[in-house]
Amino acid sequence: MVSTSGVSPLDETREELLREASFSTEASGREKAQEETGPARSLLVFFLGVEGFAVDLAHVRRVLRPDRIARVSGAAPEVLGLMNCQGEVLCVLDLRRILSSGKETAPPAATEGKFIVVLRHGEKEAGFLVDAVRDVMELSASSVHAVLDSVDPSRARLFEGTLAYGGQFVGLLSPSACLNP
Amino acid sequence: MSTRSVDLLVVDDGVALRGYDCRDVVRVEEVAGEPGGYLVRLGRLGSSREVACREVIGSVALAASEIRPVPEALRERIPGEKPWAVGLTVRGMYLLY
Repeated sequence: MVSTSGVSPLDETREELLREASFSTEASGREKAQEETGPARSLLVFFLGVEGFAVDLAHVRRVLRPDRIARVSGAAPEVLGLMNCQGEVLCVLDLRRILSSGKETAPPAATEGKFIVVLRHGEKEAGFLVDAVRDVMELSASSVHAVLDSVDPSRARLFEGTLAYGGQFVGLLSPSACLNP
Repeated sequence: MSTRSVDLLVVDDGVALRGYDCRDVVRVEEVAGEPGGYLVRLGRLGSSREVACREVIGSVALAASEIRPVPEALRERIPGEKPWAVGLTVRGMYLLY
């Protein structure tokens, strides 16, 4: 039996089967790709000067504008002070100083126009002063590469890896290492 | 609602405000020859110690609801004597020693 369109019901059935097969092949290909590349990670991208950094969004509790920060005498140089964060006391740290591994002797950073990224790892929490918060991006775990060899070893412990963002390498920070002195 | 409170002697150490339990204060001395310099002698309740400060602000009654724990990220970045709490008030923030 031939239909008026010239395509036999058998051909139509075969085409349908092929379409379905092709669809399921594509779907299984996607699953396979995901298995190969690992689950997607959501990252917050921010900048200190021209240098970009990222951190896993799972560890970001909030992003704030700096308010009045009470200084603390006798604390480590990376401690900018304490901030009232909706009735809770937040310790604010100077990420630039942490990344300089104590080599930077510049006075504490000005906070105007900047952001505080509040990170939590386990029970430990702190706010990190950054210059600009740029983006939230998703990428597969396989897109995260090893820490670049050119990174100073004392600084390398602060990173989980490296990734490409907007034509430059961005360091993926380890929240645990940044929170622990 | 808790009505407990602690009376603090608030001093300015030149960088930050510190609060000491008034019951622990033995006396406050002005350091001779140093304008604005004070020495707070403590130890009525525990081990005796002295704290130099630039200015004595005064005493403040801090309600229990205005007391917060010291963030761990700060505690481990303070060598030596560590504060036991943070006073969080509309007037400011004090580290309590």
